[in-house]
Amino acid sequence: MKRQSEKRGIMISNKPMEQEDSNELRLDKMFRAYLAACPIPEASANFMPALWARIEAREVSTNWFGRVAKMLVTAALAASVILGLMISSINQSSSFFNGTFVEALRADHQSTLEPLHLDRISQLEPE
Amino acid sequence: MLVEFDLIQKAQQGDAGAFNQIVSAYRRRIMGTISHVIGRPEDVEDVAQEVFIRLYFSLGQLRTAEVFEPWLYRLTVNASYDYLRKSRRRVESRMADLSEQQVMMADAVAGSRAQSEETEKRRVRDTVQELLSTVSEEDRILLTLKEVEGLSLKELEKIYNVNENALKVRLFRARQRVLKKMKEVTGPSSFSAKHEEAE
Repeated sequence: MKRQSEKRGIMISNKPMEQEDSNELRLDKMFRAYLAACPIPEASANFMPALWARIEAREVSTNWFGRVAKMLVTAALAASVILGLMISSINQSSSFFNGTFVEALRADHQSTLEPLHLDRISQLEPE
Repeated sequence: MLVEFDLIQKAQQGDAGAFNQIVSAYRRRIMGTISHVIGRPEDVEDVAQEVFIRLYFSLGQLRTAEVFEPWLYRLTVNASYDYLRKSRRRVESRMADLSEQQVMMADAVAGSRAQSEETEKRRVRDTVQELLSTVSEEDRILLTLKEVEGLSLKELEKIYNVNENALKVRLFRARQRVLKKMKEVTGPSSFSAKHEEAE
């Protein structure tokens, strides 16, 4: 009797050989008995109609999800275009960011800075 | 192969009649495999339909005839796996719940003719299902395909798309786990006596 483990090309160690063999054989026997005990059910008469009904139902749901996904993508694109346009129009209309900080400061404090203008100072110089 | 590649190509082009022929050709084989894997005759048809639905929606991806059968098997494995995952009915009722008497009865059926055949068959099914429930769903399917369905390592290699050595290791470990549980329930001495009796 050839060992099952050898037949499988796998080593089994640390166990008495006979016991291992018998357990392996026992399991093989149980699997064979299981194969015989498992009936292969005959397909019912409704198998094909039910199959096609399920295929159609899944096609419908797939199409529905596809449509919803397309709609969501379109809506997202439209929203991003609108937001982009809004941001660009806000940038154009706002004078807040025109020029540098120094320029803005100078514009705000024109009167304060006036006495320091060189032309005025030059006027004070003795002729 | 049970069908010509022409038929598959027709089905790929949307020919419902061709698809029906493919289903008819493979239905029994697929239902047999599912029956062995899930062990619940009442759910076999449902899982088989799921396999063919997946086949229908992925048929367009098939390019060569030789991969059709391994591919159909893979769909079967995946659908069975999904079923087992969804219906973890027996996860809690592991081997601890399996009485020694139950296993001994299964042994008796395996070794000799039982009186009430149908009852004994049911017991064998339940016992092996319980034993298989000690390993993961993936290993359970793999073990069933190898040990019950009798698929060769080459065939399994094509289905799982992994090398033979990896499969051998995985099968060995799964089998050892099942063996360990089987021994835990009955013990080596009780089995030896029973086995010799049966021989």
